Formats: sequence, C-alpha cells, structure tokens
Amino acid sequence: MRHLSETIALAIALAMLAACHKVDSYKGGLYGNFDALWTIVDEHYCFFDEKDVDWQQIREQYRSRIDPEGMETTEYFRLLGQMLDELKDGHVNLTSSFNTSYYRKWWSDYPQNFDLRLVREHYLDFDYSQSGVLSYKVLHDSIGYMLVSSMASGITNGALDMALLEFAKADCPALVIDVRDNGGGMLTTTEQLVTRFISRRTLAGYICHKTGPGHNDFSEPYAFHYDTAEGHVRWLRPVVILTNRSTFSAANNFVSIMRLLPNTRIVGDRTGGGSGMPFSSEIPCGWGVRMSACPIYDAEMQLAEGGVAPSEGCSVDLDPELALQGTDTMLEFALDLASDWRDWYIKQER
Amino acid sequence: MRQFLLSAIIALTAFAAHAQADTDSVPPYRPVAAAYTLGVGSAHVCDTYLTPLHYDGWSAALGYERLQAMRFNPQRWVMQLDGRLTLDRTQNPARNATINGIDLRIAWAMMWRTQLPAYPSLSLYAGGYAEAHAGALMLARNGNNPVQARAAATVGVTAMAVCRARIGRLPVTLRYQAALPLTGAFFSPDYGELYYEIYLGNHSGLVHAAWPGNYFKLDNTLTADLHLGNTALRLGYACGVFSSKTSGIVARDISHRFIIGVTTEFITIGRSRGIDPHARIISAIY
Repeated sequence: MRHLSETIALAIALAMLAACHKVDSYKGGLYGNFDALWTIVDEHYCFFDEKDVDWQQIREQYRSRIDPEGMETTEYFRLLGQMLDELKDGHVNLTSSFNTSYYRKWWSDYPQNFDLRLVREHYLDFDYSQSGVLSYKVLHDSIGYMLVSSMASGITNGALDMALLEFAKADCPALVIDVRDNGGGMLTTTEQLVTRFISRRTLAGYICHKTGPGHNDFSEPYAFHYDTAEGHVRWLRPVVILTNRSTFSAANNFVSIMRLLPNTRIVGDRTGGGSGMPFSSEIPCGWGVRMSACPIYDAEMQLAEGGVAPSEGCSVDLDPELALQGTDTMLEFALDLASDWRDWYIKQER
Repeated sequence: MRQFLLSAIIALTAFAAHAQADTDSVPPYRPVAAAYTLGVGSAHVCDTYLTPLHYDGWSAALGYERLQAMRFNPQRWVMQLDGRLTLDRTQNPARNATINGIDLRIAWAMMWRTQLPAYPSLSLYAGGYAEAHAGALMLARNGNNPVQARAAATVGVTAMAVCRARIGRLPVTLRYQAALPLTGAFFSPDYGELYYEIYLGNHSGLVHAAWPGNYFKLDNTLTADLHLGNTALRLGYACGVFSSKTSGIVARDISHRFIIGVTTEFITIGRSRGIDPHARIISAIY
C-alpha cells in the first residue's frame, strides 16, 4: 500500500508539472484577433531584417486604427491585410471566407512583359505538345522551347521524358525554358525539373527554419542536394531560362538553382523573389494566415528573396510595339543566345 | 494443428471437480482474458505547430486487450497487452477548420498483484509497461505544415485495482487502471521546421528524450465487466490526458470516451499436455 500511495503521489505531482505546458490563449474580438495575428507573425516570420521592418512600430501604428466602437468585418479585414502588406512579401496572406489579402506590388510595380497568346500564336503556331503545366515544341532553327506555366502541380516524368527526347531527336543544340509568369507552387516540382539538367549530385542550396519566437532565432543552414534523374532523359546541353518579375516562389527557386549550373543563362527580367517557404497558422476568428518562415538560400548562400537578376548582358524587356506585330523581344533574345550556342557546337563538331 | 482452443467455461467445469490438494506440483492453467472494445466520446486537441487554437470534437477508439497470469509466478505476476487505434475529428472555435487525428498504440505491461486480507474481493496491481505509438494530426488548410506527426516509445508505471462484486445475481468485475510514462523518446520537429526540410534530409534534433516534465501522458480507464455466461459485457469510461512541450511546440490533448465491448476468457492447451485434472486455474483478473 505504501508503494501504491507513493506512486499516486508521484502521478499527481507530475500532473501538476504537466500543467506548466501553457498554451497562449488568444482572446477574440477586434483587439484579440489583431494581437493574435501580430504575435503569430512576430514569432514565425523570417525576413524582418531583410525587409527592414520595425514590426513593433507597425503594431502601434495599426492597433491605434482599430475603432473600439466596432468596425465592419470587411473594413477590419482590410486593416489587418494592410498591416501584413507592410512586410512587402508575396508569401504573406490573410484568408477569410470572403477575401484573401495579397501584397501585389512585388509584380504590379513592374512592367507586364509576358503575353501567352503572343508565344502560342507566333512561335508555337498553336501547334505544340502539352501535358498539364508543361508545353513544348522544337522551334525553327532547331531550338527546343519548353514553357512551364506553374509549379503548383507536378509534371509527370513521362511528359518530361517525351519533351527532352523530342529535343534530342531534333538534335537541338540548346533549350529555352520559359518560366515567365510562373507564380511557383511545389518545391518538389522544382527538384523534379532541376534533376533533368544535372549530371551528378549537386548542391542545390541551403534551408533554415525558426528555432524559437525571436526574430533572429534561426537554425544552422542545412545544405541540400539534388541527385540526377537516373533512369530518365536528361538534358546536359546549354539552357536559357526566360524570366520576368512574375517568376515567383518555387519558380524563383528553380531559377536560383539553375543560375549556377554550367551552360545556363538567365534572360529577361529580374525574378519576383519569394524564397521563404510559407508557414500557416490562424487567428481566433478562424481567418488563416500564411507567412514566409523558412529562408532558402542558393548554393552560394545568397538569398533570392529580392529576386534573381538576369545573367550579365542578358537583361531584356518586351517591346510592346513589336509585340503587337507578333514579336516577343525577350524570347527572340533567348533564341538568339541559344542559336549562338548552336553555332558554337557546329564549329566544335568541325 | 498442434494446439487447440477450449472455452474457459468448459475448462473450468471440467477441472473444478477434480481439483486436488497437491496442485502446486502441477503447472497451472493460465487463462487469457481478452477484450474487444469500442470507445466513443469527445476530444480536445491543441498543437501549436499547426495552430495556436484549441480544437474540439469527437473521438473514437477500437481497442484490444489481453491479460494473462505470467508463467514464472502466476499467482503474483500478470502481463497485459493493450492495443488501440484512435481516430479524432475536431474543429476550431470558428468551426471553419478541421483537424483529423489518427493514432495507433501498443503497450505491454507486467504487473505484480496482491490481495488485501481484509478485502478478499479486491486485487491490487502495480508494475511497469512499455509503450509505442505512432500517429498524426492533419490540418488540411495549412499549406506547408498540414501535418504534425506523433510518435513515441516510452516506459512507465501502471497501477490497477480490480474488485469482484455482484449486482443482484449478476457477477461484475470492476476495474480501474492508470498508466503514466516516465521516460523514453518521442518525435517532434523543431519550432518552425517544415517537413520539407526533413524530406530534404535534415533529420537532426527530431528525437527527444521524454520525461514527465516535457512529455506527460496519463491514461485512466474505469470498466465494469458484466458476466453474462461465457462472455462478459464491458462498459466503461476512459480519460486520456497528454501534454508535451519541446522546441517551443506545445501539444495538449484531452479525450473522454465511453467504452462498450465484450470480454472472454479462454485457455490454450497444448496437445501433448492434454487436460490435466490436477492443475489449478489462475486467472489474471476474474
């Protein structure tokens, strides 16, 4: 009985210890939801320093704008969304059943330099192969062209095999991969693509995560590698990546990895960034919040949050007037660059 | 087929008439008390990796339990095998997000038992157990952190009180059991670590040493076995409390479930030994 009593006493003592696992409980109401949102971002967002944002000052600025007498739900949502916009991050959203806040200036302040219709009509002649987000064709001058419109869904290995095989059969000396207006999606799709263009295990970058709620609580960068796509068709000839400001997130990551591969050029406009993997949470009223939480660096430990610049001498924009006449000046530049490689190859063969 | 199964009642009837005084020299029969149960009730879930909010909803569990006196000292030692599959479905306070939970648990316990001379119908058990469980919480609307995996391997202490009584002419076995893990190891990602990073190969810091200060779990079970002939109807109540804190992630689950099930006791007799009329029958709880 004595042992039993001791066991029960121990159990009670330990139960009291467990009560120390306190979960911050947020109040509802206008101020409660505001504080919850501010705190969640404060504890998980990863780019305060890069964005040079004084989050404490933002709190005071926006909290004072809450009308304690009451606010319309849409007005309140807008206020919270505007506070998140101060982070200037396309990966930060507030989501409700009636609206989702977006910070759009990362692309809306830049020229729109991609016209899908122009490419499909004047370069693909409305005659191309397509599988999901992947469209491809061998263009005139034997340059392979591959349009990847999104990373949101995976690309089948079969489609990639067929596309690269078609380029190989046509003896294309170079390939243009168009990721303009590709807003990103899954990093596994990025990996799937990159592994087709590497000949050996390759350092793809570094990833960090928050280890605590402090703004500078980060883990040591973890180096991650991609293995070559064994058993599948690979492309080891030159590649031109065509980018614009709307190349974002996983597509931005794709460009930041490809940039460091040999025989690869980045052509077009600076990409949109978005190199922090988002983390999701929610506030008491049920609105979801998403924010950049895990920074991804390239193989040179450079952060691509501000975008990836074109290769030297490869910055080019779309000429709207020529576009009206059926010419995509960015694609033309990329095709010219690829043709130079073709000429170089021909010389090598001779 | 080398072994065959007899029901407990047939065995009891056959042997009782032939019980002899020198039974100590004969290995006793150790019937297995097996129970199949279904538990349904409420669940309260919180895991700050997924959300800082507390979710509430229902919980259901399928359980299998097997109790048997141990071979080396059947009068004093009892072993227990306990398996449970638990499914939870809970919602946030705004009722616009759902966490689905699944957990598979298996535990093996070894308990010493005694009887109080003043209360011959009451048996007390105490001992240790080893437990392994694995599961996950899934919050689909979270983009890159939609799942929190739960896994642990622990050892702990357990205690049980069994009281044999009657309701009118109906024999009833009342039982209360509590189990508390004391140490072991459990899985948890780091504070803001995404499973994608784990997928990329960063497996460091995922396994944590458990002690009641960072991993507290207390399972309480109260049952009444109503003996209706060869089998018994089990009615009961189970309460599970779980709280953990590591890497800044706090998890807290509380469940209440009402239990209904069937139990039966049976003896497995080797063909070579046959039915020994001198052997005693030592039950684990009945």
